[in-house]
Formats: sequence, C-alpha cells, structure tokens
Amino acid sequence: MASRKRRRSNTLIFILIAAVVCLLYSVLSNDRPFLGLDLQGGVSVVLQPQDPSVSKDSLDQAKQIINRRINGLGVAEANVTLQGSTILVEIPGVKDRDRALKVIGQTAQLQFRPVLAEYPVSTANTTDTTGTDGGTSIPPVDPSQSTSTSQQGLAPSRESGLVEGESAAGLQTTGPTATPTTAAPTAPTAAPTASTSTLDPAAQAALQQQVQSQIAAQSGTPPPLTSDEDLAKPDSKNQVVVVPEVDRKTGDTTAIFKLGPVLVEGTALDTASASIDDTGKWQVNPVFKDGKDGIDAFNAAAAKCNAGSDPTCPGTAGPGRLAVVLDNEVLTAPTINSANFQRDSIKISGSFDEKSAKDVALALKYGALPVVLVAQQSQIVSATLGQDALHAGLVAGAVGFVLVGIYMIAFYRLLGVLAMLKLLIEASILWALLCYMGAHIGLALTLAGITGIIVSIGVSLDSNVVYYEHLKEDVRAGRTVRAAIDQSFASAWSTILAADGASIIGAALLYFLTIGAVRGFALFLGLSTLLDLATSYCYMRPVVRWATSSQRCMGHPHQFGLPATPVVATSTSAKVSV
Amino acid sequence: MRALRRIYRGENEIDFARWWKRGLTLSAVLIVISLLSLFTRGLNLGIDFEGGVSIEGKAPGVSVSQAQGAMDNLGVGAAKVQVIGTDTLRVQVTSDQEPKRDDIRQALADLAGTQASDFSVSTVGPSWGQEITHSAERALVFFLLAILLYLSIRLEWKMALGAVLAMIHDVIISVGVYSVLQLEVTPPTVIAFLTILGYSIYDTIVVFDKVKENQARPPIATRLTYTELSSLSMNEVLLRSINTSIVAILPVISMLMVGAGILGAVTLEEFSIALLVGMLSGAYSSIFVAMPIVVWLKEREPRNAALRERLASGKGGSLSRSQAEALSLSGSPSSTLVAGSPAKAPSTGATTTLARGGTSPTAPTTTAIPPRPRKKGKRR
Repeated sequence: MASRKRRRSNTLIFILIAAVVCLLYSVLSNDRPFLGLDLQGGVSVVLQPQDPSVSKDSLDQAKQIINRRINGLGVAEANVTLQGSTILVEIPGVKDRDRALKVIGQTAQLQFRPVLAEYPVSTANTTDTTGTDGGTSIPPVDPSQSTSTSQQGLAPSRESGLVEGESAAGLQTTGPTATPTTAAPTAPTAAPTASTSTLDPAAQAALQQQVQSQIAAQSGTPPPLTSDEDLAKPDSKNQVVVVPEVDRKTGDTTAIFKLGPVLVEGTALDTASASIDDTGKWQVNPVFKDGKDGIDAFNAAAAKCNAGSDPTCPGTAGPGRLAVVLDNEVLTAPTINSANFQRDSIKISGSFDEKSAKDVALALKYGALPVVLVAQQSQIVSATLGQDALHAGLVAGAVGFVLVGIYMIAFYRLLGVLAMLKLLIEASILWALLCYMGAHIGLALTLAGITGIIVSIGVSLDSNVVYYEHLKEDVRAGRTVRAAIDQSFASAWSTILAADGASIIGAALLYFLTIGAVRGFALFLGLSTLLDLATSYCYMRPVVRWATSSQRCMGHPHQFGLPATPVVATSTSAKVSV
Repeated sequence: MRALRRIYRGENEIDFARWWKRGLTLSAVLIVISLLSLFTRGLNLGIDFEGGVSIEGKAPGVSVSQAQGAMDNLGVGAAKVQVIGTDTLRVQVTSDQEPKRDDIRQALADLAGTQASDFSVSTVGPSWGQEITHSAERALVFFLLAILLYLSIRLEWKMALGAVLAMIHDVIISVGVYSVLQLEVTPPTVIAFLTILGYSIYDTIVVFDKVKENQARPPIATRLTYTELSSLSMNEVLLRSINTSIVAILPVISMLMVGAGILGAVTLEEFSIALLVGMLSGAYSSIFVAMPIVVWLKEREPRNAALRERLASGKGGSLSRSQAEALSLSGSPSSTLVAGSPAKAPSTGATTTLARGGTSPTAPTTTAIPPRPRKKGKRR
C-alpha cells in the first residue's frame, strides 16, 4: 500500500516537473509557436499532378524542387508537404505575397550560361560563413581542371578535390585565370560528395553575397551583379549572376558559379534522355530543336566556348564551360569540347551515376518539375485579417476558459478548481510543444489548430466530470470519500480510456486521410486528448486523493462538490423524505 | 426545476424506454426532413467545392450594395457579395472571372480605403472540392470502421453497431441542418464536423460502460430486463452526460459568440457552427439512438428473452433506481464503510438516507463481484 501511495505521488511529481520544465523552456528559449499563414498572412497553394497516376517518387522530387525554389525567395519558413497525391505549399509571413505565388506556379527557367568562375564550397569552412575573420574560403578554381572523359562530348563539372591545400586561405585570386598549380588534376569520376557541404538557405545567401562583394572588391570594377531576389526576374538574363550548384538529391551546395549572360534559352531544348556509353558510364543526351532558335543558337555558343579565348566564355587552358542553369541552380557545367554539334548527338558525360544522370535528363526535359502540376487552390491571406483571426481565436479561448471555469467551480467547488489547475498544466505542456514544434519541425499553428485547442478544453474537463460524478455516486451510495477515491478512479479511468481512445482514433484518421490546412484541427484535438490521458492519470488521481483526504473535506464535503457522507455505521439517522 | 434538482441529487428515475420510442420517432422525422431538404434544396456549397475566387477583407462602413455597384462597374455583376460579421466584406466570383481577380481586389480596397494587400484572395480550381469531398468520405468510412472495430473489442459488437449507427444518424441530421438553414458548407466545416463526431461518442461510451458495469453485477442483472437495466444505467450517468456535454459546448459557444459575433472572424464562425451541430446531435443520439438500438439488439438474445419472460411471469421484476442501487451496494462488504466513516456527522441539513438494503423486496443472495465492489445508494 505504501509503495502504491508513493508511486501515486511519483506520478504527480513527474507531471509537475514536466509542466515546470515546459514552462521554463518556453520562457527561457527563444522558440515561439510558428503561426500559420491564416494567422500572420501569407500564401498557400495546393498543387495537384495533372496525371493522377504519377508515381510517388516524382511527387517527392517535385516537392523538393518546389521547396528549393521557395527557399530561393529568401523565406526560410516555407512549408512544402505531400498530402496524398497533392502538394501543399505554405509560405506564412512572406512579404510580397503575389510574387511568391507566381514563383511557385511558374514553369522553370532553363538557361545556358557561360561559366566565368567557379568557387567550390569547402566543408571545413562553411560553418564560418558568417564569421568576420576571413575564414571563409572561396578559392577560385581553374575551369580547365574539369577534364573531360570523352573527346567528342562535354565534360561535366562534377569534380572533387577542388579545395585541396586551399581550404585555410581566403579568396586568393580574382579572376577565372587562376594558376593551375593550386590543385592537382583530379579524376572526373571521383565522388562529388568530397566537396559538398550542407548550407541552409540563409547561409547560402550570405555566401553568395560574400562572393559577390569579394569579387567586386578585388576586381576593382564591380560587375553588375544582381541580388538574390533579382535572380527570378527575367531581366537578369543579360547580367552576370552568381548561382550555386546544388546536389539535387541532398540539397547540398556543391559549388558556386559566377556566370555570364544567357547564351541559349532553355526553349531551344527539345528533349533529353540518359544512357550508358561504350565504357559503361552514365551520360545525358540533350536533344535540341532544329533551326535558328534551336541547335544553331547552341552551336553559336559552343563555338565561343570551345575557342576558349572569347571573353564571354573564357577558358583557361582550353575550351570554356557552359553551365545549364535551372531554377537559378547550376544543373551541370560541362566543358565544351567541340564547336559544332548535331542536334541529337550531344553527350554530357562524366561523373554521373544512374540516378543523377536520369535526374538531370528529367530536369532538362520537363523544366523544373518531373510532373505537370496544376494549382487546385491558392490563398493569399492579408496580414491584417490574419491578426484579427488570431486575436478572435485568443479571446474566444479565454472566454471559453472562464465560462467552463465558472461552471466547473460552481458545480464541483474545490474539485472544480483542481480541474482548472489541470487545464493549466496541460496548457503549459501544450505551449512548450507548440514552441518546440514551431521552431524545430516547422509545424504551424493555424486557426484550425486554435479551435482544436479550444475544443480540447471540453475534452479535458470531461475526464474530470466522469471521475467526479463517479465519486459522488459512490459517496451517495454510502462509502466514505476516502474509500471511494480509488475504486471510483479505476472505473472512471476505464471509461475515460475508452472514450478518449475513440477520440484519438478519430483525430488520427482524419489527420492522415484528409488534405488541406484544416488538418491542424484534428492534430491539436488529438494531441490534447493524449495530454488529457497523461494528466488525468498523473495529476488528477493523486491530487484529488490528496485533497479529499484532508480534514477539511471530511468536515465540509460540499466545499468539494461532494454529497455529505451518509453515516452508515449507525442507523440512527432519521429518515426524512426530501 | 424540480427535475433538475433530482438529477443533481442523483434521484432521477426517468423511464428512458418510453422516451426512446419518441426519440426514435423524432429522429426518423428529422432524417426524412433532412433527406427531403437535401434532395430538393441541396447544400449551400462554398467556393471550395465549386471553384472560383473569393476575396475577403475588412471594409468598415462599406455596404453590400456599394460593393455590388463596384462589381457591376467591373463587369462582374454576378459576383456574390456578403458582409460577414460586422465589417468583413467577402466577394466571390466564378472561375472564369479569375483574370479580373486583381481588379476586384483593387476596387474593394478603394472602397474600403485600404491597400489591395489588406484583402485576402482564395482561388480554387473546380475539382478541388471533389478532392476534399473524396478525402472526407474516405476518412468517414475508415473512421466508422475503426470505431466499429475498437468498440467491438473494448465493449461488444452490438454496442459498437449502436454507436456507429448513431454517428451515421448524426451525419444525416447535420447535413440536414446545413441544408434546411442553407448554411455555407466549407472544407473547414466538413473536417471539423467529422473530427467532432469522434469526440461526440464520448457520451455514448460513458453510457455503454455503465451498462456493462451493471450487467456484471448479478443482483441487478438477474432482476432486470436488459431494457430496464439500460434505463437504470442511463439514469445513473445522466448527470455525467449532461455535464460533459455542457463543459464541451461552452467553449464552442464562446467561439461562436466572441470569435464570430463580436470580432467577425469568419473561419471561427464556420468552425464553431459545425462543432455545435455535431456536439448537439452527438449528445442527443447517444441517449435516443445508440441506446435503443443496442437494447433492441440485446433483447433478441435468447438469454435476455428468457430473462424477460421469467421476470414477466414471476413477481414483477422491476426495481426502482434506489432499490437497484441498494442491491448493488448490499453485495459488497460494508465494513470498509464503517471503518472509513468519519466520526463527525455530515452537515445535517434536511437530507438523510433511505434505509440501506432492506427496502428491496428480496434481499440478494449472491455475493457480488469481488474486483469492483461499487455501491450506489441513496441519501439526502
């Protein structure tokens, strides 16, 4: 008995500590709940594939591409999720909502631009990108290092070892005419991961800025560089830009390129495929359209780059490189090894594996997305309306809390107060969960979520009602409060478990089977119900037991909302009918 | 008032069996009305189901006719213009007017004297509604199956069936409410409504649990038909059901009044109406639909039929609530009661107890249920 008692108070201590820890966390950390776009304004789009039988893989790929596209906008908080066969894009808080909507919906811009310089991203130094000690190493690399494997084809940009022996240095030279002695020639088939690193969008933007400013500072004549924002604008076509090469699988930035004005538009491309060459290596075969705007335009560019001496497409010790830019990312930047190509016999070969070759081919073929997506629903929420909704939700919640508080306390007196305290414990835990998930998982609190939480006030108090009524019934039947406490809890707990179980099943199914932002309602109702189970067991049980075992309860049971304990030991009490 | 006091004191003895017939009749009538209305009037589907553009924003002092006039000027006279809450203006146009979206937005902003960006725009493709409906239907079917399975395991399949039929009843009635009152159906209302169904069977489960508990108590179970047993259980949990419903509905009413009425938050209003309808019909159906179905199913069991016959032929088996509770109480050891009783007498008042146990016609012979000796009694 003693050990059971101790266990009971253990659960109380546990839940109180949990609540206090949660409270401290939300006070001390900077994490705040992440408001959904219906509460702070923003943009959301639901995209659906035109062909419903599209594979999950393609959808996943499309999702990642869209994600990166949005990150390019400079909003880090975008949320792209796959719900069934639809892609939900949510960008809360974005300032220029109309433009964001366009960027998501636009078909990708595929461009061929000459490589002016390449700056590999060094794993060792990316963490310092924001440092002021010049620790960032962005050594320029001689484009000629990207040796090609096939004489008649194009060589890819994926080489490794670019940063060997240079990682500690700052930006060493200014132009694309770096001395070839800085790095040993490397095999083109080496794994590109050797020079990859992870960069979050903010750091990447910072890095790009730095590259730009350093280029500007050291060359003396600032080139007409555009800001990251301007990249999406068509008029950047004729300007020099700085664009990252990103591993399409991992999202890591593998290199940063300084690229010249567009030489060939992506519209010149007809189709593309991936194949295996004679030596068993994977390659990509782009096929251009016929005529002036097709293969002729490409050959004009190829001639410039192949010569290597033309300033618009400089080569260092040989032919220059032509980067394939998609969605402001470099797909691949092959060296042009010939001045003249047949429209359907072009090969990009090098360090591709099957997956990357097919990915590049797909990207060339379809533009950005492997599937054709149609916007099913789009929403632009004004910031003022969002704030109003948030305000209304908070006021409604507060009023609801006070209303049930009055009812519970009027009905159950001190036990009602304990029930409201239980709500406060749940609230502190839920708040911490919201803060944590908002800051680290990117889970947004929407208006639907707020209503879910408001409704869960009732869910939570229901458990108290079931227990208290059970208790009253037992006391009415002639038990003392003390004797009734445990048995009532056992019965009530089984009821609570059954009823909450049904709620949780319902919420979970609706969360997983439905689409749209309203899933937040099911999510938070389900979460609150789980939380209710925990607090009912850990808090309500011991605390009610503790309260009712007090002298006060014995003397004044009505203060606890309980009926007076009938004196059953003696049958002297008079029979009085009511 | 007296009835309420009796309920508060746990003395209510409502003959639910009599009410069930009326309840089922009422439900049948409501279902017929709902279906009739659904097929004749249909539902007022929001633009999410039909496709189109909805533009919404604060526009204090702008009247519907002013906004309508502005729409006429733009050549979109067919636009649906509403003022929601106190000062929120909402204009909806069909999909083919989508190119004029920005013009409409600007025109409204000019009227309201604000920026175009202060107006929210929601654009919906024509098949989006089907998508939502489809996923909601799928969720509903899975949900009903899951509840059927869960309650079959947790309680028994007949009760599970009763609960699920009650939920289907709730769905039909709620659709009927939306159809008769022509309330706008939006995706939030659909999802909110379905989710709340899961919660609304809370009451049903509370009652069923009580019936099971009483059934496991031979002194009562052998002396009452299943119908009487159910009615008794229902009386016992009535206050519980009422309070859980009130506590759940109060916050929703607060949302409806505060959120929608005073502050004009449209989504809150849509949500809370759906929740309110779902909760009310859930509370009603747990008493008047779920239970009678279970009783009807259970009374057909040979065991219960035999019991019914035996009780009918023998001495009338009917027990009053207090008698039944006394029966259940007398089965358990009362020593704990004595031991645990406080020395102090309870605040006297005008209350007291009926005599314990003895009032029942025949004292029970069985010793009851060791695991959970519970007692109901009488007092005050």
